[in-house]
Amino acid sequence: MAIAVIGIGMHRTGPAFRRHPFGTPMALLGLAVMLFRVEEPPQPESEVVAAAIDAAMWLLPALIGSALVLMGAPLYWRTRLLPLLAGWALIVAAWYQYYSTMSVVLSDALRWVSALLGVILAFTVFALCVRTAERMTPQEPETEGLSEKERKYVESVLRRHLEVADEP
Amino acid sequence: MNPDIESAISAFAGSAALTSLFIILALIGTLNPYHRPAIPMLGASTVILASTYLFAKTVGIPADSVALRMTMSEGVFALFDILSLVFLVSTFMFLQASLRKRPEDPLLALLESETGPE
Repeated sequence: MAIAVIGIGMHRTGPAFRRHPFGTPMALLGLAVMLFRVEEPPQPESEVVAAAIDAAMWLLPALIGSALVLMGAPLYWRTRLLPLLAGWALIVAAWYQYYSTMSVVLSDALRWVSALLGVILAFTVFALCVRTAERMTPQEPETEGLSEKERKYVESVLRRHLEVADEP
Repeated sequence: MNPDIESAISAFAGSAALTSLFIILALIGTLNPYHRPAIPMLGASTVILASTYLFAKTVGIPADSVALRMTMSEGVFALFDILSLVFLVSTFMFLQASLRKRPEDPLLALLESETGPE
């Protein structure tokens, strides 16, 4: 799981059109290590594996369905009916699977709230630490303006990318 | 101790520890020359150790590596529990996204007029 999380972290660095080259292979390697085990894991990890397999029964259709709905919904482009309908079918199947395999009782609410508070605590401590680290970083001097040569270079790059003919 | 309270404390400690572990792993995965990860890593490690200590005291076991592994396992169970809540909220958001009408975008209209409608 650690390898998969590091791989996902790597994949998220850099611009969307040029992700880290090792991100996806590392995430897939982590997934493969999780799925294909040579020997049974010891306690308490074996219980985690059993819980993960149970959860995968509804999590997998939920994840694939969510991705399809996001592809089909009119977020950035027109509605794409086929992925949208297939996604909703999978989401409905995921909910059906969840209610047929998982037993939810009211006393679980206390556990849910506690788990949420734990997550919030971890992120709050992280945010405070990042703020402290940033405050401890010495201020860099103000950057000087572009020189005439740099200005012309930036202008030509922008013109090329905006497909405007260079000035004579 | 009341089993419900014990379960709630275990979920709290486990989810805090596991989230902090994910934060450390994400920091490792995104390491670059402009990062200053020392203090965030120290903070996340402190949360993991404190959560392990809390879990060990609650369950009544020594705060050692076994307690650390059990805390992380509790974290996985706790996160699986709240995934259903996350999925519930997501389902409502997907419903809104599926039913909404995309606002007219002059740039997209220009693109369509050049390339033809898809």
